[in-house]
Amino acid sequence: MDTLFLMNSLWVMVAAVLVILMLGGFILLETGSTRMKNAGHIAGKTILTFGISSVVFWAVGYGLIFGAGNALIGFSDFFYSGYDIEGLSLSGAVFFLFQLAFAGISLTIAFGGFAERAKLGAYLVFAILFSVIVYPPIAHWIWGGGWLAEHGKQDFAGSTVVHLTGAMAAFAATLILKPRIGKYNKDGSANNLAGHNQVFTALSVLILWVGWFGFNAGSTVSVDGAFFGFVALNTNLAAGAGVIAAMIISWIVMGKADVPMMLNGALAGLVAITASCAFVDTWAAVLIGFIAGFLVFYSIRFFESKGIDDPIAALSVHGAAGVWGTLSTGLFATPELATVGEPGLFYGGGLHQLGVQALGVVSSGAFAFIVSFILLTIMKAVMNGLRVTEEEEIIGLDMSEHGSYGYPEMVKAEKTTISSEPKLNA
Amino acid sequence: MTSYLEIRRFRDDQIIWVSRNHLQLNQLHDEIIHRVITVSVKEIEERYGPLPCPFTFFMMGSAGRFEQSVWSDQDHGIIYQQQGTEINDHFLALGKEISHGLQLAGYEYCDGAVMASNPLWCKSLSEWRRQLANWSIDSNWQSIRQLLIFIDGRSLYGEASFLENLKIEVYQTIKNENLLKKVLDNTLHLKKGIGVLGQILVETHGPHSGSLNIKEKALFPYVNAIRLLAIKGNILETSTLSRLKKLPEIELPIIKKEIYKQQFLKLLNLRLSLSKPDNYENSHYLPVASLSKKQKEEVKEILKNGAALYRYVRNLVEKENY
Repeated sequence: MDTLFLMNSLWVMVAAVLVILMLGGFILLETGSTRMKNAGHIAGKTILTFGISSVVFWAVGYGLIFGAGNALIGFSDFFYSGYDIEGLSLSGAVFFLFQLAFAGISLTIAFGGFAERAKLGAYLVFAILFSVIVYPPIAHWIWGGGWLAEHGKQDFAGSTVVHLTGAMAAFAATLILKPRIGKYNKDGSANNLAGHNQVFTALSVLILWVGWFGFNAGSTVSVDGAFFGFVALNTNLAAGAGVIAAMIISWIVMGKADVPMMLNGALAGLVAITASCAFVDTWAAVLIGFIAGFLVFYSIRFFESKGIDDPIAALSVHGAAGVWGTLSTGLFATPELATVGEPGLFYGGGLHQLGVQALGVVSSGAFAFIVSFILLTIMKAVMNGLRVTEEEEIIGLDMSEHGSYGYPEMVKAEKTTISSEPKLNA
Repeated sequence: MTSYLEIRRFRDDQIIWVSRNHLQLNQLHDEIIHRVITVSVKEIEERYGPLPCPFTFFMMGSAGRFEQSVWSDQDHGIIYQQQGTEINDHFLALGKEISHGLQLAGYEYCDGAVMASNPLWCKSLSEWRRQLANWSIDSNWQSIRQLLIFIDGRSLYGEASFLENLKIEVYQTIKNENLLKKVLDNTLHLKKGIGVLGQILVETHGPHSGSLNIKEKALFPYVNAIRLLAIKGNILETSTLSRLKKLPEIELPIIKKEIYKQQFLKLLNLRLSLSKPDNYENSHYLPVASLSKKQKEEVKEILKNGAALYRYVRNLVEKENY
């Protein structure tokens, strides 16, 4: 067996492990950004739905994406048995596992829109439906030789395929589930249902940041020329620029360096650079991340002001930043690096590539949103509602869906806490 | 008037007429509180016999500073002349009765229990002297805060000299023990009311979204900074405006004094005329979107000057302490 084959396999295996570990990041992100009474539920369901997603991907997901088919869908290679895949210079099983991890991440993002109010049953059913009907067509269009791939769409590691798809499903879910109890006042003003642990949220960003080296740099699926190093560098720069930009804009507009906002800035930078990490220069990576940091700030405020309750900012971090990232290669892709498609607007490519990117965003985004919306509407009718009862929501999903609290002592103690600090300026 | 509920009716009848005038509003509050105390004293004397010795009842917080808005909570204490178990019980009963009466008359209880119904704030002259000395010696965050609350005390009933003498002693101790720096650390955390682009920083979440928290972002910088200068200048007055008026040139140059006086007066009146004072909570918020362009500029000026005053006082104290 030749060395390159082994090296490629080893590198992509490492990357797959990193991507799967990103689920740990999502567990901390989602629990940290929400309330204690739902923490056990959120952590547990993330593992559970990844399990479902894995099995579904093995049975049909992979075949629908990478199987032989037409421009719209693949249709072979179901129930993959571990054989090597023609035309790939790495282990077929490793490649399969890597792709499986991506499908799991996209699903986890979609579930951000369910947080703190959906029944466990809704998670189970939608995990299957999303993994069969929503994710595979889009992944096939762009990565599986479908119509957008033929078109020259650039999405190196999945700003569109993974992040925008997940975010659009999350969007459909937030619209159908409606805001959490207590999020909005009668006059339409929003309350801050603050997450219970900023340390978790910060740690989640670090885990995701590191995991993203698997996500992006691993998407080289080869060690050839050690190009993965360059991709990782761009990834890191965009994340750094995103956190700086979000801090600056939050300080300018709100007068404070808001911690959740800074953290979302880092994630937005990562999401944005996901499409373009292999196609742009380092300075462009900084700029792309920086703009993503600004964008996520305004996007979060926009959705909140429109009465759309998005507990972990999935629409903004993965949606808005995913759109921006996908479009960014249409501006910044360099002639040397654009191995797929054409160079961007700023490199003499004109509007061609930007148009291709925009078409990809619109068609993929619309497909993910519409199909998710229809599926969830049907589920709502069949399952007698997707949301837990008011009482269940108030006692928390830990108790209502699983019968025990993630923080048994703390949730009980919360009710008896009082403050008694003397006031000076009453 | 013989009952608290009658006083409440009197309050409800009268207050709408003065709710937009700072001076008259606070005079009315004083009168209502005075009436409550009179009823309480009578009630206690009927129940337990005549009060055993002279005393004074004093208000603190915004009432002490003569800066109440339409709704306000209660912060108060009692100082009585002689010490003794029965005497203590007698005045504590009075404190409880007044607190109860004020609540019926429309003044919410104080969350921090700064009330004469709490033995901490209802003591004989000698016990008060000992407590104030202990607060100065401890000089931790909580005890300094309690000293500052006490400094805003204003006598409304009885022997005002009890309070005045204690306050003079407190001022002296603060200076002797070099506590001004601690006072500064205790109160001068500035909540920014104005952003780097010159915009007013409003609440982004909750029922007061879009409103400016005028209490914390506009009033506090003035009140806290001027209180500190008053301690430095040995001024016993409690209202921010009268403290300002009495400040010697050496503490605050006359030209600045005039600016801050005007700004603070404008702020008090803006608060009364523009916030929706339907309850205690709402009276602290100014809906910025409904302000005219001119009013917005005024608010910005007030915020900027408050921040400037804050910086001035901080530099002044820090310079002296290093």
